[in-house]
Amino acid sequence: MKQKALSILMLTAIVLSACGNLGGGQPAIVRIGWASGPDSLNIGVAWLASAYTISELTYSSMYEFNLDGTLTLDLGTEEKMSDDGLTYTYKIREGVKFHDGQPLTAKDVAFTYNLIMAHEDFPTLHSYVDHFVSVEAPDDTTVVLTLDQQVPNIASKLVFLYILPEHIWKDHSEGEAAAAFENLDMIGSGPFKILEYKPNEFIRLGANKDYYGSVPKVDEVIFQVFSSPDVLIQALKTGQVDMINSVPNTSVESLKSTENVKVVTGSPLSPDLEDIVFNMVDPTNCPTAEGGLCTGHPALRDKQVRLAMAYATDKQKIIDIVKLGLATSGIALIPSGTGEWFNTDVKDFAYDPAKGNQLLDEAGYKDADGDGIRDMPDGSRPLTFRLNWPSSDSEAPRIAELLSEMWKQLGISLEMQAVESDALTAKCCPTLDYDIMIWGWVADPDPNTLLIIPTTEQIPTGYNETGYSNPRYDELYAQQGAEMDKSKRIQMVWEMQQIIHDDVPYIIPYYPLNVQAYRTDRFTGWLDGETKLALEDPSSLTVIEPVK
Amino acid sequence: MSRWLFIRNKASRSLFTVIFVIVLNFFLFRVLPGDPARQGIRDPRLTQEAIDAIRVRFGLDKPVINCFQTINPLRFGNCDVNPLDTQFFIYVKNLLRGDLGTSFYYNRPVSEILGERLWNTVLLIGGGQILSIIVGVGFGVLAAWKARTPIDYGTLITGLVAWSLPTFWLGIILLFWGSNNGFPIGGKATPGMSSYPIFTQLMDIGWHLILPTLTYTIVFMGEYMLIMRSSLLDVLSEDYILTAKAKGLSTFQILKDHALKNGMLPLVTIIAINLGFTVGGVIQIESVFSWPGLGGALYEAVSRRDFPILQGGFLLIAISVILANFIADLMYSYLDPRVQTE
Repeated sequence: MKQKALSILMLTAIVLSACGNLGGGQPAIVRIGWASGPDSLNIGVAWLASAYTISELTYSSMYEFNLDGTLTLDLGTEEKMSDDGLTYTYKIREGVKFHDGQPLTAKDVAFTYNLIMAHEDFPTLHSYVDHFVSVEAPDDTTVVLTLDQQVPNIASKLVFLYILPEHIWKDHSEGEAAAAFENLDMIGSGPFKILEYKPNEFIRLGANKDYYGSVPKVDEVIFQVFSSPDVLIQALKTGQVDMINSVPNTSVESLKSTENVKVVTGSPLSPDLEDIVFNMVDPTNCPTAEGGLCTGHPALRDKQVRLAMAYATDKQKIIDIVKLGLATSGIALIPSGTGEWFNTDVKDFAYDPAKGNQLLDEAGYKDADGDGIRDMPDGSRPLTFRLNWPSSDSEAPRIAELLSEMWKQLGISLEMQAVESDALTAKCCPTLDYDIMIWGWVADPDPNTLLIIPTTEQIPTGYNETGYSNPRYDELYAQQGAEMDKSKRIQMVWEMQQIIHDDVPYIIPYYPLNVQAYRTDRFTGWLDGETKLALEDPSSLTVIEPVK
Repeated sequence: MSRWLFIRNKASRSLFTVIFVIVLNFFLFRVLPGDPARQGIRDPRLTQEAIDAIRVRFGLDKPVINCFQTINPLRFGNCDVNPLDTQFFIYVKNLLRGDLGTSFYYNRPVSEILGERLWNTVLLIGGGQILSIIVGVGFGVLAAWKARTPIDYGTLITGLVAWSLPTFWLGIILLFWGSNNGFPIGGKATPGMSSYPIFTQLMDIGWHLILPTLTYTIVFMGEYMLIMRSSLLDVLSEDYILTAKAKGLSTFQILKDHALKNGMLPLVTIIAINLGFTVGGVIQIESVFSWPGLGGALYEAVSRRDFPILQGGFLLIAISVILANFIADLMYSYLDPRVQTE
């Protein structure tokens, strides 16, 4: 009890000195716990999702995300596309101010887009301006964007191009200065502004009272880093944070039974997937110039073998054991969370190990030496495959164990090994020195970024980790990248998913659900009932208010 | 040989070791497979042009050293290249100017990042070491003094248990108990403290330091207790102690004037080594308590192949260990007249 007295003493001291400074009126401060903060406040060089979370709160862009998956104009008030689809004219809001009081005009928009176009070394942002030729601001509220080819769904690219203030960035726009700029003040035009930033510790955001959209009802939002997931849960339980944006599945039950805490699940804002990857590269496609070794087991090049393994994979069991039920069964590389892009017509292979065995028998893979493991039809090699995964993936070891059991029923044996993730990349892509891997991808709202993966041209770059090569798929990819009619484009994307599903270069066990939790006794109004769940998004943070 | 010569010899040996570490550091991390320009991330948005541009920004497009383009994979390059324009010599040149480079990941100067994190770690270890020395030595002496009594056995068991407790586990136990009783759940300071007076800020940091320091103290006091006790028992069994007893000196006087000085010697070595190594090694405590220290920074830097942080961080650790050993050698030469300065 001495500790309680001591803590009361300390808290009193702190509160007393606080009152002395603030002079009345306790501010409404939301505290959010997460596992890792942004890597940089310079959105040009930042990689991590947490950097984008902060940017969504401090910057505006032409469009914004809605929780039903659509995009609507945010900074823009009007979009006009020319008949040939190569010129877009935008009108933007008037009277918008940056956090430092300076006005935001179309010139800042043009400056931002041109800055990103000029910087090939902006790792993620530069890919969004791929077909941009020129951006101009003929007056303070008009932006004219010219492209070199038709780009479907341009909103999905503009949403990530956060508008930077020219008067601050113009001194940091040439060459390496842009990447070197730390941007610690992160002056933007969003609903929140930076108050204090301690890398790897916390970031404090204050409400922007001059915001042109819905002004936040809370005064501050603090994102605090906690290095261990158990600590995050404990922080929520003891009330030291009000919301955590990623709950480990193992803690869901214990949190559900905690008073004043609500656990919610939903589709992630950026959906992701876990995949089982087969090395099926044809020797004629082996990228030897880029260091390709192509040591994959020859049996995996046979579609019958992969199909048999797909029939022997019990996806529901994997979801129940590994994700504790908090995932949806996978089909192809486009997660179900992408909404209308996801092909709901594909009939997945049922769990049928007998059928798997039948397929292998018919294809001639018999157990030549009687050791319980099938061999190649010519008896040269047993069906023993190497199975690797990145050591940073906490779910992969359990998936690997389950796969080993399930595929043993087919007479297939696995040599399992976790490999450090960068070392695994060096081994697989484009070296292709593996048999089977367990890994995953994160999707953008527009499927274009993930659809490129199984294309033939990505074999030498290493993104095509399977070595899959299908001219029809490559053709469809090029077509959908330029198809302006949305329903036609959806049809193409659906066909691409059917092809990938049927050819089995991957087995996709699941698309994880997003699991978040918040305290019900602190703030109310969290948007937890929408299609997508993202309580750290401005959509929630601008509308929540303290519980009375 | 005078003491001065002794110091000079030790110093030059230490300097040589540091130079060796600098060279080893550079090549060691470049042997790791993987591409630092990707920082361990696979993202289809990242084009080959972008990777090449990033590589130029990091200075990785230059040959590693004359005649070798890269170490892993071993690729021979141009032997005619200006040796001063290779990664290795640029690294050495900057190091001599005190410039540890810029982190690939954070895009900030390495000296800034490591400086902050090192200071946080020192804060954590400093308090912990002092407390664990006081408690550990105190109880160790007590145990040896009252050898073969319940006090001795009790202390021995406590020391063994404390030393064998897994740091991570102990940290979590203390954290969970503490957070249910008013202690903060982690971090170095409560966010938002910067607008408060300095005294309140320091109190707040101190408040956050209590549990991690307690964890550190419990574990290390165990070690010091055991070593002090066994070293002192050794000394107390020497003949000259018997002589002192025969002369009629009290146990307290014997300890104070004869035994402690000799018994302290192994402890001085251990403390010096601990101080040197734990600069980079308290990652377990930092991880449990979300304490932004040096251990965490280095661990993350490895998976991202952030060479500048790794080079700078390991150099820091090497210098700490070498410096600590140097100081230990010096102290030894003062404490123990048997140490030959001839």
